[in-house]
Amino acid sequence: MNQGEAKSTKVLRKKSSGVPTIAVTGGKGGTGKSTVAVNLATALSIKGSRVMLVDADVDGPCCAILLGTKLGTGEEARTFKPVIDAARCTGCSKCVAVCHEHALVGLQGLTPSFFEELCSGCKACQLVCEAGAVKESWKTLGTIYVTDTNGIKLVTGELKPTEARSPIVARATMQRAIKELKDGYDIMVVDTAPGVHNVVAQALWEADLALAVTEPTPLGAHDLGLIMDLTEEFGLPIEVVLNRADIPGGLKDKVVKISQNRGVKIAAEVPMDDELLRSYISGEPIVKKSPDSPAAVALLSLAQHVLEMLKVGEIYGTTA
Amino acid sequence: MKEIVIASGKGGVGKTTVAASLAVILAKSGIKIVTADADVDAPDLLLALGGGKTLSSTEIKASEKAVVDEAKCTGCGKCVDACPFGAIVAKDHQPAIVQLMCEGCGVCQVVCPVDAIEVKKTVTGTLSVEETRYGFRSVTGYLRLGEHNSGHLVASVKNFGRKAAEDSGKNVLIVDAAPGIGCPVIASISGASYVIAVTEPTPAAKRDLERLVKVIKHFNVPAGVVINKANLSDNFKAALKRWVTRELGIQILGEIPVDYEVVKALVNMTPIIEFNPNAEASKIITAIAEHVKKEVLA
Repeated sequence: MNQGEAKSTKVLRKKSSGVPTIAVTGGKGGTGKSTVAVNLATALSIKGSRVMLVDADVDGPCCAILLGTKLGTGEEARTFKPVIDAARCTGCSKCVAVCHEHALVGLQGLTPSFFEELCSGCKACQLVCEAGAVKESWKTLGTIYVTDTNGIKLVTGELKPTEARSPIVARATMQRAIKELKDGYDIMVVDTAPGVHNVVAQALWEADLALAVTEPTPLGAHDLGLIMDLTEEFGLPIEVVLNRADIPGGLKDKVVKISQNRGVKIAAEVPMDDELLRSYISGEPIVKKSPDSPAAVALLSLAQHVLEMLKVGEIYGTTA
Repeated sequence: MKEIVIASGKGGVGKTTVAASLAVILAKSGIKIVTADADVDAPDLLLALGGGKTLSSTEIKASEKAVVDEAKCTGCGKCVDACPFGAIVAKDHQPAIVQLMCEGCGVCQVVCPVDAIEVKKTVTGTLSVEETRYGFRSVTGYLRLGEHNSGHLVASVKNFGRKAAEDSGKNVLIVDAAPGIGCPVIASISGASYVIAVTEPTPAAKRDLERLVKVIKHFNVPAGVVINKANLSDNFKAALKRWVTRELGIQILGEIPVDYEVVKALVNMTPIIEFNPNAEASKIITAIAEHVKKEVLA
């Protein structure tokens, strides 16, 4: 391999737990990722699995709301920030030169100014300072909550509003969840953020299977293609959950065709269902509240499909 | 230059639907606009506008990534431990950078004892400017997969939007933001003249609106709220409206009911105002456009 040539993520990915993990993702926002994640987790729990649910959509976590539970007291997700000791600073400006985010700014001979909102917490400034003038301090980027609810262990990551570094909070959330896994779980379900970049990548890292939730509109179809590109890069098997499959005027055929062309299976079609909306608002997963309603039937059969894949070892071990 | 940002916290509540029709209505009433899609992860605004004729396409380098020189690397592993993003993985006793996760902070370069790591500007993607059929230009960022979605890139999209406006004699930029409240959204909101926060009457959307408003207030940008899919729950909507006006102290600009004409318009890749001007959604977005003209653009 030549210098600078990127290795595919597929080659590099390595799970740090042995627990089969499903990431619920989808590219576009508002397609029903959290609805699918929460109902899948609940259905698997009802069927007897020990389930961990991770809410890694740290910009807007809502699994707890959909489960009708309150988050307990959380732990802070913190990152390094420098404090410059002016008495020790020699004004060499090495820290200014090394800061790619330009969070430290100043002229040679002067103590640099620090712009906290730009800081990535990387510690490069502290490492280059020969005078020991960069002291360690911390800033809170978010909160991680661990909650027991409905027989499910829920780990929720929440970015503090006005903070920008969602991927760091998503990473800390995943690490916390993986630590909790030692208590013994059959499956981990991860609800990711919308989009296809770092905050989603952090949530997909542990996954053995991605479920891409989409809807039959040109926007849903377009963004489904993007998330398929991402899971391909990750070497991550993917299946599609088509939500609002029968929305009037929708483009179901188009989504089916995109999936077929890429050899991706449609694992479930969830129909429009007023009862799903009521369960969404009341905070009771539909698979529990109204298991006979059409959307619940589809979601329960998705859970059955997942159980069967688990049984034959199809979900576990892709990266082990 | 005035900048109006359509944001939401929660995804899928109707940002792009509102942005596309708002843009068309304002343009038709003589306001000189350009649109910019700041949802660089999943840019859908141009799709909602029915595409356009490409005027320019520019490669941009908005991010930095670490690169390992394998000939120099001794495999000591210091960089793997130092990376705050988990973006360096030891593979066959050599570190490898996971492009998707590297944010270019450069700490690996600092800890490397043998100077085997360099942080380089990388091609992030292309920014293209399209002429839409509605007589205004639209800027879209097409990201290369594996490029992190940073505020830097959104800043580039906005800069291209401002430039496209200047080039075409326009003075209002309509920005369709990404869902969420993180870096790309902060970059969209900072420096804006006005934010239209789109929500829906569900507990999850309310919670995300609350978080978005904290960001909006932090940047001191005036804002209004649009309740989309307003009749999803009448009870919840009533509570939401009280909360928005009393607790958040923000004006409600309009309520758009669930309307399958909106879905048909999306499928036709035509803004609802053009697809069916008599649809309820069209009337309400027209009223919102009037408000924006009077209160923000006057």
